[in-house]
Amino acid sequence: MLAYGFGQRALVGGLIIAVTCSFISFFVIVRRLAFVGMGISHAAFGGVSIGIVAGVDPILTAGGFCVLVAGGIGWLSRKGRLHEDAVIGILFASAMAFGVLLVSLAHAYNLDLMSYLFGSILALSWTDVISAAALSALVITFLVLFFKELLFFVFDEETATASGVPVRFVYYGLLVAMAVTIVVSIKLVGIILVSALLVIPGATGLQLTRNYRGVIVISLVAAVTSVVAGLFLSSGFDIPSGATIVLVLFAEFMLSVALSPRRPYMARLLGKG
Amino acid sequence: MTRACRVAEFFDGSAGGTRTLIELEGVRVSLAGHTVLEDISFSLEERMFLGVVGPNGAGKTTLLRVVLGLVRPDRGTVRVMGMTPGELKHELHHIGYMPQQVVFDPIFPVSVFDVVMMGRTCCIGTLRFPTKVDREAVSEGIRMVGLEGLERRPIGELSGGEQKRAFLARALCRETHILLLDEPTAGLDLPAQQQFMELLVELKEQLGLSVIFVSHDVNVLARFADEMVCINRTMHLHGKPQEVLGSEKLKEAYRCEFDFLVGVGGQGRGAGEDG
Repeated sequence: MLAYGFGQRALVGGLIIAVTCSFISFFVIVRRLAFVGMGISHAAFGGVSIGIVAGVDPILTAGGFCVLVAGGIGWLSRKGRLHEDAVIGILFASAMAFGVLLVSLAHAYNLDLMSYLFGSILALSWTDVISAAALSALVITFLVLFFKELLFFVFDEETATASGVPVRFVYYGLLVAMAVTIVVSIKLVGIILVSALLVIPGATGLQLTRNYRGVIVISLVAAVTSVVAGLFLSSGFDIPSGATIVLVLFAEFMLSVALSPRRPYMARLLGKG
Repeated sequence: MTRACRVAEFFDGSAGGTRTLIELEGVRVSLAGHTVLEDISFSLEERMFLGVVGPNGAGKTTLLRVVLGLVRPDRGTVRVMGMTPGELKHELHHIGYMPQQVVFDPIFPVSVFDVVMMGRTCCIGTLRFPTKVDREAVSEGIRMVGLEGLERRPIGELSGGEQKRAFLARALCRETHILLLDEPTAGLDLPAQQQFMELLVELKEQLGLSVIFVSHDVNVLARFADEMVCINRTMHLHGKPQEVLGSEKLKEAYRCEFDFLVGVGGQGRGAGEDG
């Protein structure tokens, strides 16, 4: 597949997305934001629908929509009026319903819409790859520059606040970074499956080590190998790339569960039991 | 004047005299329309161990949050090292804080060293990374609380008492002058409580710290505090542990009898004796 331009673009774009997702996946897992990720990604359907109906690039409208939903989740839950999961439940279903209604009224149920739901990495253009690289660079820069504040915040928000960490900024920053990562990843695996990329790499890392640096490295390896293997397998067997990537990732996770040092037989094997 | 000068000037300016590190005067705090603190006035002198007691829901944690500048009083004045709460937000690295309970996932992938390093966050500064100085300060903090050898151990694998000591090291590994502790011994068994308190008093003396220790356990504080404040929304008492323990107002604040405390009060350490 690398002999073709679309294959090269898919691989480069996929790797960029894998790196970004694996990094943010660490925070998704330790801060228990998996449901937030699902909420934001499904809400993206509303944004995609606006783009399709209005004739604007759906990724742009989905981006705006996701950032708004992420901000809404953060604002409503931090105000303490509703729990985070309730806010997500409300916003995610409402945004999807809005999207369904919009495409139905505009008779826009078409192949284009399906590609956003299930991903279409083989249709990536170089412009898509460059914008994915730019947005990923922004997300990674934020995560690297504010890593110590983010780590303190996700571990112990109260003491972080008492230590002068700008917790509101890092919390909203993390949500916006998640929203941006989701939008960038929609082309790879689609709205339905994108939350897998946000959750499984970090969860895989956490099975194998109790050191955050190790979790991030394993998360990175899991995401990158799943994208590479998924793309080659989908090309070889002519099966959907997004679903293949997610299933490879799932297989890696199951392997990590089996090889986790916390399992009694592994502990015995490693001489700790 | 640069920000760094504020604390240095405070300590230089009152050299030789008794420094008042924290001063609250007529403080009233309302949260969500309810008055949680009313007419609170006390001061914390340098190197003093002040125990704040009161029943559950008395406003003790809110009091610490007022000192930290996280809750603004609707009436009264607050001065910490001569600064208003607004000025203090740039100087929080001079205050070590230990919350009542750190609720974290036992499999959270951080080591003791990583957790103590979190205490250096405000010293390192935004957009900066830890240096050798920070790593040395963290190692020193870990050594002070007796956790050397456990630096690389995941925090979730430590016992309750060891975790509390790690959180104490986190509060100490900055440029700490004031230590604010919110029920730090909650959840520990008696020997672990005793061990923690002895370590705390030793470090307080060694580092010249001023401490506010919040607890609902009058017994513990009566043994270790120089002075005690009893609050239940409003101030009921302020004095030496013996005075507080012998007072009828303590029963009034807790709305229960304290007969069993009389003996403990007699054993009180003695800040009272220092005089």
